[in-house]
Amino acid sequence: MLLFLFLLLSSCFQNENVNENDLIYWSSNNSYEINFAKVVTDNWNKDTHLSKVYFQPVPEGQSSEEIILAAVVGKTTPDIYSNMWQGDVEAYAQAGVLIPLDTLDGFLDFLYNRCDSTVVEEIKSLDGHIYQIPWKVNPILLIYNENLINKLSLKRPPKTYSEFLDLSYEFMDDADGDGYTDRWFGYAEVQVTWWQRFFDFYPLYLAASGGASLVNNGRAVFNNEHSIKVFRFLKELYEKNYFTKEKLSSRQDVFLSSVIATRFTGPWEIMHADNFKTDDFLYDFSYIPVPDNHTGPVYTYGDPKNIVIFNSCKNPEEAWRFLKTLISEKGDLELLKITNQLPRRKDLEINDTFRDYFNNNPKMKTFASQSKYVKGTDASPVLKEVFDLISQEYEACVVYGIKTPEEALKDAEEAVNLLFLK
Amino acid sequence: MKITKDKILPYLLVSPYLLHFGLFVAFPVIFSIVLTFHNWDIISPMEFTGLNNYVRLFSDKIFFKSLLNTLLFLCIHIPLQIVVALFLAEILNQNINFRGLFRGAFFLPVIVSGVVVTILWQQLYGFDAGLINRMLVKIGMNKIGWLTDPNVAMISIAVMATWKNVGLYIILFLVGLQTVPGHYYEAADLEGASRSQKFFRITLPMINPTIFMVVLLSTVGGFSLFIEPYVMTGGGPLNSTISAVLYIYKQGFFYYHMGYAATLGLFFAVIIMLVVVIQKKYVEQET
Repeated sequence: MLLFLFLLLSSCFQNENVNENDLIYWSSNNSYEINFAKVVTDNWNKDTHLSKVYFQPVPEGQSSEEIILAAVVGKTTPDIYSNMWQGDVEAYAQAGVLIPLDTLDGFLDFLYNRCDSTVVEEIKSLDGHIYQIPWKVNPILLIYNENLINKLSLKRPPKTYSEFLDLSYEFMDDADGDGYTDRWFGYAEVQVTWWQRFFDFYPLYLAASGGASLVNNGRAVFNNEHSIKVFRFLKELYEKNYFTKEKLSSRQDVFLSSVIATRFTGPWEIMHADNFKTDDFLYDFSYIPVPDNHTGPVYTYGDPKNIVIFNSCKNPEEAWRFLKTLISEKGDLELLKITNQLPRRKDLEINDTFRDYFNNNPKMKTFASQSKYVKGTDASPVLKEVFDLISQEYEACVVYGIKTPEEALKDAEEAVNLLFLK
Repeated sequence: MKITKDKILPYLLVSPYLLHFGLFVAFPVIFSIVLTFHNWDIISPMEFTGLNNYVRLFSDKIFFKSLLNTLLFLCIHIPLQIVVALFLAEILNQNINFRGLFRGAFFLPVIVSGVVVTILWQQLYGFDAGLINRMLVKIGMNKIGWLTDPNVAMISIAVMATWKNVGLYIILFLVGLQTVPGHYYEAADLEGASRSQKFFRITLPMINPTIFMVVLLSTVGGFSLFIEPYVMTGGGPLNSTISAVLYIYKQGFFYYHMGYAATLGLFFAVIIMLVVVIQKKYVEQET
């Protein structure tokens, strides 16, 4: 497989028109981001610069992560890649294939101007350098069916665990009368695949804990009162059959067909829902539910995708000059308009540049207000395994109830600490 | 010494095979063995770790769980495959109407993509909307968590795998049945043997080599169980369907633990070899 990808990627870069100073830029391969990348590269190439930027979407593969890995192995990386999952950066940084961006002229000033210091701390690698530009986020929120929620006693989406459980009980139903529940208040995939936890445990943990880490200094730090509350809450949802264990993703969209009333999801759902919903179907977004006694802001997972410069780049300073235009106010507005994804910047809600966009897209306002309180992932080269180990215990405790939250989290903590020792 | 054309020609003729063997068999095998003594995540340089991967293997509970799961799958799948395939082959060996159509129909799942078959069966096995559970409810029975109950999920996968592959084994058994000389049955008829006596005393012993081949192919096929749990369950629930190959794949291509994945692969290859050798010895004794 890797050999095939290597050969494919090698053959991709035989562009005879590319000069030594020119830059090759890979974007995500979804059509919206391709359009965005075309706009920013065209704008750059219109003006006279030392380098031209040649853009192409990341080649098709099972996942863009796999393609990037194959490119790194085959030494066919582009100069710039703009869709790097934050959790992958540490492994590439440790492998020495990324440029430490904090060594570039003016980078840190630009970064602190764009982002809060907490974001800068979050993206810092374990060696103290910064290898990524925080570019965009897609915060995970609770989408809800307004028609169904308005029929329930609370008349609004739940904000706390108690409210969520009460509404779940009120909503659950056996619509076809076969003696089995077939209408659930919410749904999350029960598969143990590590990234599934971005849509249940992780945003709930960040919300409950005020954005706490999972791992820190090579130790698991997630076995705490917050994670126990989250596990207990989710366990009750499955125990009482408010959430189903069945895989519903292979059926017709269960949210749009009103089989479920809520789901944890990101802003990409807006385009999908607007394309496929019926005219009378109303929906909106709300914040992640928190424990009843919670105080302070409600955090969530931001699913951050960042920009990196590979060390195959011969002219990183020029790449940085290009990137400054890509993440300028103008570039960020284009990102919003073309892709409906939020730039990760601290002035998103107050900057006049973006006001018209949010007035025209009111559903995105909730995401914009949430964007102040999003967290990405901790810097760790074994992050996927950490999530996988948590997933194993999540399944045993939350879904199948064979462990208590305390036992499951203790076992997960021990397994993760053992992982760091290896 | 003069090198003649006659001396070079044989080497030239075998060189394409040797090249293929060297590149795609010998090199990967040797490289895998070397890898077992290293940590390697593909992007960083290999790091020599001695026997660490082997030590880790023997304390890896999930790997041994995956081996047991694979064994359970084989224990269900192989007998089921043989019984169903032999039964259907016996029927299709008779002079029945639409025999050609049935033979084609039973073979059809073999040529359908494994992913397509698993997606189809996922719909059948659905707890709420699945066809099988709907039928069970219609006849007054309880719904079954075909893929969500840890005690049932591997059985469900084994049944599906049998449905997918049985056509191939029907063909093999048909070939075997047609090699049994007709006069054996005529003699048995003259002696007044019953249908079951003829089956157990004549048919089964005569098709023993075919049964061995089916057991061997099913065993090797069963050991490589991957697509079904990968697509249908991801190895869950509670790791009850994670097969050895799926676990090795995860170690290699989810977490890029290439050294550890190679160690697991080597250990698993030795197990398969042992099982096949034991099977072969047993059958040789029997025949």
